Amino acid sequence: MAIAEDRRRLATRLWWLRVSVMLVFGLLAGVFWFLQVGQHAKFQEMAENNHQRTLALRAPRGVIYDRTGQVLVENRSAFNISIVREHTRDLDRTVRLLARITGIDEARVRDTVDRHKREPSYRPIVIVHDATLDQVAAVTARRLDFELPDVVVQEVPTRQYPSEGLAAHLIGYVGEASDQQVVDDSLPPGTIVGQSGVERVYNRTLMGEDGARRVVVNSVGREIRELEEVPPSEGHRIQLSINYAMQRAAEDAFRAYGYWGAAVVLDPRSGDVLTLTSLPAYDPNDFSTGIDRATWASLNTDKLRPLQNRAIQGRYSPGSTFKIVVAAAALEEGVVTPDHKIYCPGGANFYGRYFKCHLAGGHGYVDMRHALEKSCNVFFYTLGNMLGVDRLYEYSQKLGLAGKSGVDLPSEIESIVPSTEWKRQRTGEKWYAGETISVAIGQGQLSVTPMSLAVMMATIANGGTRVVPRLVTAIDDGSGTGWQPVPPPANPFRPLLMKPETVSALHDGLWMAVNAAGTAGRARIAGRDVSGKTGTAQVISNQGKARAGATEKDLRDHGWFVFFAPRDNPELAGVVFAEHSEHGYLAAPIARHIMETYFAQKDGLPLPGPPQPPPAAPVPAPVAPSRVAANTAAFDR
Amino acid sequence: MLERRLYFHIDWLLIAAVFALCAIGLATIYSATGGPTNVYWTQIYAIGLGLGAMLACMAIDYRSLGDKSHLIYLAVILTLVGVLFFGAVRGGSRRWIDLGSFNIQPSEFAKATVALVLAKMLGESRRRALTNNDLLFAGILTAVPLLLIARQPDLGTAVTLIPILLTITYVAGMPVRYLGILALVAALAAPVAYQFGLQDYQRERISTFLDPEQDPRGAGYQQIQARITVGSGGVWGKGFMEGTQGQLRFLPVAHNDFIFSVLAEEQGFAGVVVALGLYLFVILRSIEAARLAKDRLGAYLVLGVLASFTFQVVYNITMSAGLVPVKGLTLPLMSYGGSSMIATLAGFGLILNVRMRRFTN
Repeated sequence: MAIAEDRRRLATRLWWLRVSVMLVFGLLAGVFWFLQVGQHAKFQEMAENNHQRTLALRAPRGVIYDRTGQVLVENRSAFNISIVREHTRDLDRTVRLLARITGIDEARVRDTVDRHKREPSYRPIVIVHDATLDQVAAVTARRLDFELPDVVVQEVPTRQYPSEGLAAHLIGYVGEASDQQVVDDSLPPGTIVGQSGVERVYNRTLMGEDGARRVVVNSVGREIRELEEVPPSEGHRIQLSINYAMQRAAEDAFRAYGYWGAAVVLDPRSGDVLTLTSLPAYDPNDFSTGIDRATWASLNTDKLRPLQNRAIQGRYSPGSTFKIVVAAAALEEGVVTPDHKIYCPGGANFYGRYFKCHLAGGHGYVDMRHALEKSCNVFFYTLGNMLGVDRLYEYSQKLGLAGKSGVDLPSEIESIVPSTEWKRQRTGEKWYAGETISVAIGQGQLSVTPMSLAVMMATIANGGTRVVPRLVTAIDDGSGTGWQPVPPPANPFRPLLMKPETVSALHDGLWMAVNAAGTAGRARIAGRDVSGKTGTAQVISNQGKARAGATEKDLRDHGWFVFFAPRDNPELAGVVFAEHSEHGYLAAPIARHIMETYFAQKDGLPLPGPPQPPPAAPVPAPVAPSRVAANTAAFDR
Repeated sequence: MLERRLYFHIDWLLIAAVFALCAIGLATIYSATGGPTNVYWTQIYAIGLGLGAMLACMAIDYRSLGDKSHLIYLAVILTLVGVLFFGAVRGGSRRWIDLGSFNIQPSEFAKATVALVLAKMLGESRRRALTNNDLLFAGILTAVPLLLIARQPDLGTAVTLIPILLTITYVAGMPVRYLGILALVAALAAPVAYQFGLQDYQRERISTFLDPEQDPRGAGYQQIQARITVGSGGVWGKGFMEGTQGQLRFLPVAHNDFIFSVLAEEQGFAGVVVALGLYLFVILRSIEAARLAKDRLGAYLVLGVLASFTFQVVYNITMSAGLVPVKGLTLPLMSYGGSSMIATLAGFGLILNVRMRRFTN
């Protein structure tokens, strides 16, 4: 009886157990149904995100060539070490460990990470650009131990610029897009873009298109296999109008003679920029791998201003080179004929003030040709006085000396040639006729860039067509059609078309300045009929110089030499600006070396070696700052 | 001892189901560890040893085991005490006895022992009804090994002793209202225990369970990954050795705690249904063995062994789907683990033992 009751109770309770177990298992099956069938799509996607990674493959930028086919800028492989926060479990630890094994200051690593904090976590934050092999080895070893699953080493194409900063300002440099650029050009953050020079102006052409690689990774981020690869497409190749040999010659010559400065040489027929240099320069390679703060700071605070492209961003008084504008204006306006003579007694009175000529005894009777040859001040005072400042301004503009040249480089500044209107707007005062006298010999309110003087010389050389300088002549987009010439830029300037007698008088006078008894004999090349004119740009007035006394600032005058060659049918036109060289004739040999190189190359002769510096330099060479390529190192491309 | 007559009463279906689960587990371990690794071979040896243990547990009449239950119980308690002092430390807890080439985890064997000693005590009680003293004594018998195991610390295994106690006392006639009171006390005590009774890492596990997204890279990681693993399997799964979550190690200890997730990923809902069905069959079949048992000792023993098994199965599978906090509880019969496999198979030996001796005296 008791046993039966016992049995019954056991049976009931077993029944309950059975039912509960079945309920629980039914519930479990329901849960799995819900997860595996109901929400399958969602989890499927999450699983794929888990184990698939898309890695960007950086496109190499387009190679840059000079006009003779010489490679100026190419790409090399560099290794970047980055943190991918998506795989980070302890960012602090990663930063500490990475800083330790790469030998980089921990605060800097943390800084970099903080700067990119708001980007999506799958995007790698580059900590070390262009890592050394030691750093790469150290990181790779740790990765194999699963210590740094969130650190990746990527091989990326990196810009390789010519050594010694050759043509640095003209080529420019690349760097990570700034926040502003990211917004303006809708680029992904961290994109490498051109930040200056041709790299910047032609950034879109040079940039190419990044590829991507989809890979399977495991939970520690190690790559297991590749799913697909979209290869990057290289940027378009660009051919510059620059002539490598001449560019090299210009920079060699500056260094040999011990000056900083700028030189621009154009082809007066087309406006092609054959040479464009500014010294001191910087090393663009420092930028291509992410410039460090100290280098950037020293470049910015350097008194010699290596970042400034003097050719288009430096503005100086043109000195006697401006007399060419006065001469052209006077002849074209018919104020004088080429043979009209003016007497120079060594000075003259204008508006109650005595203006001196540089030759104390005077030049006697001089016509246009001899006035240009000797650079007679009195002659040009007189013409300037007859023309008035507004016609000087008008011709400056027509010849290309006023305003911007329009060269395809960023941040060009305007050259300033005064006019009555300009003065009224600027100071609210009227122009005094006496001021014109100073302007006529290139003093006073004139302030021009070397580039604008080069354009002016090209206009004089080709007989009146103001050219727009340009740097890019052809583009190869890699589609197999080869080099496609780039049409010359639209020329907004009406040609001046000077009278033949004007042209011949100017050409004769400038030829005589070099080849007769003029000031520019040092530019003479036998048989090449170099024509040119020297000039001296005052840094400060003579009175000011006396006042300044022994300040540290270099107050010595700058030297100019403007030129074209040959006299008939010129192929070259340009300017050399030698900072603090005191005399224009000291700038002339630099131009001569550039021209000699051009003619030697044209005739297929061996190029002239670097010029030998004069035994006793007239001016002590400026001391090169450490960041500026030294003038002793051989060019080792 | 194994008489020829008994041979005909062996529950072959149950054995088949048990070893089918072992086989599924073994295949999943093979897949999760990426081939015939050490883990795989160790599991094969464990199944072999487990079979031996099973046969041994079938051979001896459970009634004579019951007679010696106090000795077995004492021996296990002493071993557990020994582990606390001399055990091998791994992962911060002292759970193993190092025997040179392999290790034994005595806590796994505590389960069957507690089942046996409780079954003996309550099953052979002369009294008509279960007294409060009986319940108290049963509670103490359970609490001693429970606390010892919890000290290792191995809260997961310790907790599996509670279902044994509850199930045996329930079928032994404990008033149902006691269960209600117990549930109420547990609900009230939980916050207190959470605050004072748990280690930091345990508290963290619970809080991240409630909101895994608060720490998706840390403690919540496993739970999120478990759900992704299961959910991405779909109806038919990704295929044998084709799972990405387990294969690429997004899921930690895939061959151990999360073996069922890997099964769900690679074999899909279909595989899950098969495995769940086998487990359900094994459990119901064992309850049947309890119903058929000749005496209360046998019935209680079967249910005691089954209680910890069922609890562990349900908890682990729920954890595999990321629905309960991650706890180091393995899935019996499928997970990698020598001691667990041997102890579980030995437990089934006891269940088979009871069933096949239902006609003997």
